[in-house]
Amino acid sequence: MRLFTGVIAILFLGLTLLPVGAMVWQTFASGTIASHFDELFLSAQAWKLLRHTILLATLVTLLTTLVGVPLGILMGKTDLPLRPLFVFLFLVPLLLPPYIVAVAWNDLLIMAGFGSGTLSGLGGSLFVLFCVYLSVPTLMTILFLRTVPPSLEEAGRLCAPWPSVLRYVTLPMILPGILLSAMIVFLLSLGELSVPIYLHYEVYAVESFTQFTAFYRFDTATATALPLILVALVMTMAENRFLKKRTATFRHFAGSDTFLRISLGFKRYPLFLAAAFLASVVTILPMTALALEAGDFHHLAEAFLASHDALLRSLLYAAAGATLLTFFGFLLGYTLLKRPFRCAGALDPVAIFLFTLPGTVVAIAMIFFWNRPFAQIVYATPLIVLLGYLAKYSALTGRISLARLSMIPASMEEAAQMAGADWSQRLRHILLPLTADAIAGAWVVAYLFILRDVDLTILLYPPGEDTLPVRIFTMMANGSPELVASLCLIMATVTLLPAAAAWGVFVRKRRRK
Amino acid sequence: MTMVAFENVTLRYGERVILENFSLRVKKRERLVIFGPSGSGKTTILRMVAGFVAPERGTVSIADRPVSADGRILVPPEKRGVGMVFQDLALWPHMSVEENVGFGLMVRKVPKMERKRRVEEILELVGLKGFGSQNPSDLSGGEQQRVALARALILEPDVLLMDEPLSSLDRPLAEHLAHEIVRLQKRVGFTLLYVTHLEEEAAIIGTRRLTIRKHTSSSQTSRPEIF
Repeated sequence: MRLFTGVIAILFLGLTLLPVGAMVWQTFASGTIASHFDELFLSAQAWKLLRHTILLATLVTLLTTLVGVPLGILMGKTDLPLRPLFVFLFLVPLLLPPYIVAVAWNDLLIMAGFGSGTLSGLGGSLFVLFCVYLSVPTLMTILFLRTVPPSLEEAGRLCAPWPSVLRYVTLPMILPGILLSAMIVFLLSLGELSVPIYLHYEVYAVESFTQFTAFYRFDTATATALPLILVALVMTMAENRFLKKRTATFRHFAGSDTFLRISLGFKRYPLFLAAAFLASVVTILPMTALALEAGDFHHLAEAFLASHDALLRSLLYAAAGATLLTFFGFLLGYTLLKRPFRCAGALDPVAIFLFTLPGTVVAIAMIFFWNRPFAQIVYATPLIVLLGYLAKYSALTGRISLARLSMIPASMEEAAQMAGADWSQRLRHILLPLTADAIAGAWVVAYLFILRDVDLTILLYPPGEDTLPVRIFTMMANGSPELVASLCLIMATVTLLPAAAAWGVFVRKRRRK
Repeated sequence: MTMVAFENVTLRYGERVILENFSLRVKKRERLVIFGPSGSGKTTILRMVAGFVAPERGTVSIADRPVSADGRILVPPEKRGVGMVFQDLALWPHMSVEENVGFGLMVRKVPKMERKRRVEEILELVGLKGFGSQNPSDLSGGEQQRVALARALILEPDVLLMDEPLSSLDRPLAEHLAHEIVRLQKRVGFTLLYVTHLEEEAAIIGTRRLTIRKHTSSSQTSRPEIF
């Protein structure tokens, strides 16, 4: 076990952290920072970028947390009708490339008679990213509500009404989960590229992307990315120090039979209307606008014919990437839980750090590392895209696996060990079957995150092998609105149909339990 | 013959001393009850015999063969000839009763027919004949306890470790099963190390008792006493 997990750990670090480390080293060694320090970090433009980046990420975090946590309690803790449907509707924008929501709302505003520039700048970016990331605190709240032992709430209910129990018992217990969700939203907003580009709001990720793609100033692009790397490092350390212990593993997870639910009584009707209104703003209206803008079936067919190769590649990349991520994620989770060698615990901060880095930074690091004559088999093929996904998203599958593995009592594996099962037999017969649901879940999450990815893929795809989100993004500048809307609709359909099926299976399974 | 021996064993978890210079000898076919309050280190003693924990100092031996010493596991758990019934029973929920019980034989590549025969035999021994195809979660608490016992016994261990296996059952059922465990031990002949914090269970099961008292002194040392 020690040897195998050790090899996997070295492979993981070599393929993911090494390129980023090499890029940072090169940035300092090349002297770019020393010679252009004032221009890069002290100029008015640099401060503007920093101010814009931090302001947008902070506002999106505050707004999504303030709305998402109560929404999560409403969806996860009460008897509101149609909760699974609502949760799925709130989840929809997160599953799509973020710029699709921006395109859809832009189309909607134009249809309503507003000018094409109505949705732009800070306000527009804030609104779109709020719609996109609202489901993060909502889902995290729902998840962490399940980790509160019912007996603690029952003890509170003996002497206080539900609002007081929520305030003094439940919310303090799920606070680490809420803080983690806020951190995730902050970092996703910080590294967001496509929405600020589309809505003309200058942020660091856009600047780094522009330096690299428009001017091919490699050193400047990497130097511009340094503040983002610094923020990611600080966030990783904060997560590791304050949140990891209380969010990475679950000792208690309530099943439907033991979970305490709040009866809303007559308040369910106004709350249902409020939830329906929010779901309309976040999902129903923009998706309807896309369908209307796409027009008739003829446009859709035309768009499909023009993009079926990119669509197929999107699905293939997502499936291959998700499989790679699930494999590494499971072994990462297992290694983190069992700690078979010294420094095994360091794998988690590394994975989190890479996840917190903006996709553009990871992509530039991959290009820097693999663009060498001897590495063309990686650089010139889809392998580099898959390695980019591995670096960026392994924290997701690793944490899902760790959380599920931590719920299996150690005695399950120990009993098999006493029965004579070696490590591979314990893995095959005990751990894999017991975590099959989480493995499937991790695969689906990885698949959906890769399918929606633009930031990484747009820089890494080999010539002529773009994905559908990348193709739509490049066509937004000069493609016809009908074609762009049709392509967005196709992207939404291929993402949402399997996601809806997976959600349906999940909800049915949980009800059966 | 001494079946299990602890010689000058010391174990600490951080600052907390669990055992200090602890020595113990358990004879073959003896039924030793390890008795004491929660958190006193009873389970740790079993886990050292099983091979999940190594003593920081000192030696643990099974059948006069050192199995762990001075922080090192010398013989892995699966090669110690020890069976264990866990406090939470640790029945694998994705396997049927017969798959749970026959798992040790399967990983040892015992032929299917032979495996089936031995599983049926052991299920009959613990009073679960005909339960093989059922899922553990469909069984009552007492039946689940018997499945865990059958799984621990099927490899014919020299030593059986039981970690409060009856703690989740109501008292009449627990006492009934305690008597059955004694009958089974007499019939099969294994050495039993049985952890409990209940006086009644200890009285039924044990031929000898190791009492661990949890002291509230600054060192938090648990001091074992043998009666």
